[in-house]
Amino acid sequence: MFKAIVYTQWRWSRLLVLAGTVTAFALPIMSVQGLNVLGEAAPWTARDILEHAESRSVWYAVLAGVLGLLLATTVWHSDHRGRHQYALSLPVPRWQFVMQRFGAGAVLLGAPVLAFAAGCLLAAASLTLPDGLQTYPVALSLRFALAAFVAYGVFFAISAATVRTAAYVLALVGAVLATQVLLEAAHIEIDLLGTFYERASYWPGPAEIFTGRWTLIDV
Amino acid sequence: MSNAIEVRELLYQVKTFEIRDFTLNVPSGSIYGFLGPNGCGKTTTIQLLLGLRRARGGSISVLGHAVPRGVTRVLARTGYVPEHPHLYPNLTVDESLQYHAAFYPGWDRDRAKGMLSRFDLRGSQAVGRLSKGETGKLLVLVALAQMPELLVLDEPTDGLDPVVRRDVMTALLDYVSEHKATVFVSSHLVHELERACDWIGVMDRGRMVVEMPMQSFKRGIKRLRFTQPPALTQETPFEVLSRSAAESTGLGEEWLVSGWEPAMAQALESGSGALREIVDMDLEESFVALLSRSRASLS
Repeated sequence: MFKAIVYTQWRWSRLLVLAGTVTAFALPIMSVQGLNVLGEAAPWTARDILEHAESRSVWYAVLAGVLGLLLATTVWHSDHRGRHQYALSLPVPRWQFVMQRFGAGAVLLGAPVLAFAAGCLLAAASLTLPDGLQTYPVALSLRFALAAFVAYGVFFAISAATVRTAAYVLALVGAVLATQVLLEAAHIEIDLLGTFYERASYWPGPAEIFTGRWTLIDV
Repeated sequence: MSNAIEVRELLYQVKTFEIRDFTLNVPSGSIYGFLGPNGCGKTTTIQLLLGLRRARGGSISVLGHAVPRGVTRVLARTGYVPEHPHLYPNLTVDESLQYHAAFYPGWDRDRAKGMLSRFDLRGSQAVGRLSKGETGKLLVLVALAQMPELLVLDEPTDGLDPVVRRDVMTALLDYVSEHKATVFVSSHLVHELERACDWIGVMDRGRMVVEMPMQSFKRGIKRLRFTQPPALTQETPFEVLSRSAAESTGLGEEWLVSGWEPAMAQALESGSGALREIVDMDLEESFVALLSRSRASLS
């Protein structure tokens, strides 16, 4: 049964998975490629290399988030179109069907995650760094994997919900924004957005994985 | 005879529509025609039977399991053909069959293959690109290849051309006669049900109007033409659904009655009435008469 679900998921998401896999493999290699070329022309200091690596690191987080988001939305797309009649009429408990759908998407997400790890290892192997700097391909790959799965999990939950639930979530976000605007207009110093961002982005917030150091090269 | 489907005092409400005090008995092994005008609640009832919607009250039992608690076991033994195609449009026919088969341990690959060629369907064609007739055939194929004990068919031939309709009905009836399965089929195509069904239930505005064996239904509803209508009393052994002046002559009256028995003719003759003619009615006329009666009593 799981195999059949993975297959349907593959049929719907294969272009995305293929494009994601190629991008995930290429991104770490491309991010250090310039470094080597520049390094040959004019020797770089350790500081320059770190700055260069950090400037590229944001794209790793963006890629992880985008992959999770896009894959999660394709998981339910066909079921939403049929108002979930097909899934509900199958002789499987609903929780089990949802878990299998989640698992199928996670399996497919494994391809770009592994490709990213391969890209990181290849990029690291191609570098010759000055003393004091090291590459962290495994740590970066694990961070990427975790971030991609967190994004996938969050957006899977949102896209599994009904349109009404999605509307409630949007209404809540809109209400927070409107309240913030009103508070600022009234010169009341309460930073709702900042508080929300901090709660989400720092431990134990779910987006904590996206903040912090994403560099392939570090001291 | 046990019932494959039993519904008691069902209550379901959504916005302005409700199903109330709804009772249904589908005997095992029967072909049960579920009739009703568009929008009367047939599809909603079917979705309640299969756990796709949740009732507010009452009880539903299908194949001996309470719904929604035991719905997974019900669905494993039930072939369902929904009103609107539910298969994933971006899979091919072959892929759809493989996907569906993965959920049904009793899936009969040979039957599926045989029906594929019998229905002239190409396995490589995308489901979303099938014509309406081909989609209808695929849905029936999928329902039958899972070897169900119960078939729940929601307007299975609605919008299909006569050739496809005949193919679909033949396949269904072949399966039923072969496996003694129970069939619960909803439709507003009265003539189609008249030929195939042995039980009938008529629903209108969320309520069951009548439920009885097809033969009783057809035998019991008559049009009586009187030159001299008898006086109606409490003891009149049949129910008068409607009465009007005779259309052809303008003399006498025409009555539409249910619960008619042949022996009643003599009793009428011996009383004050003069019965001129007893006219058999087809299912459609009976259906329309029952609905008119039901609506009149509700208003």
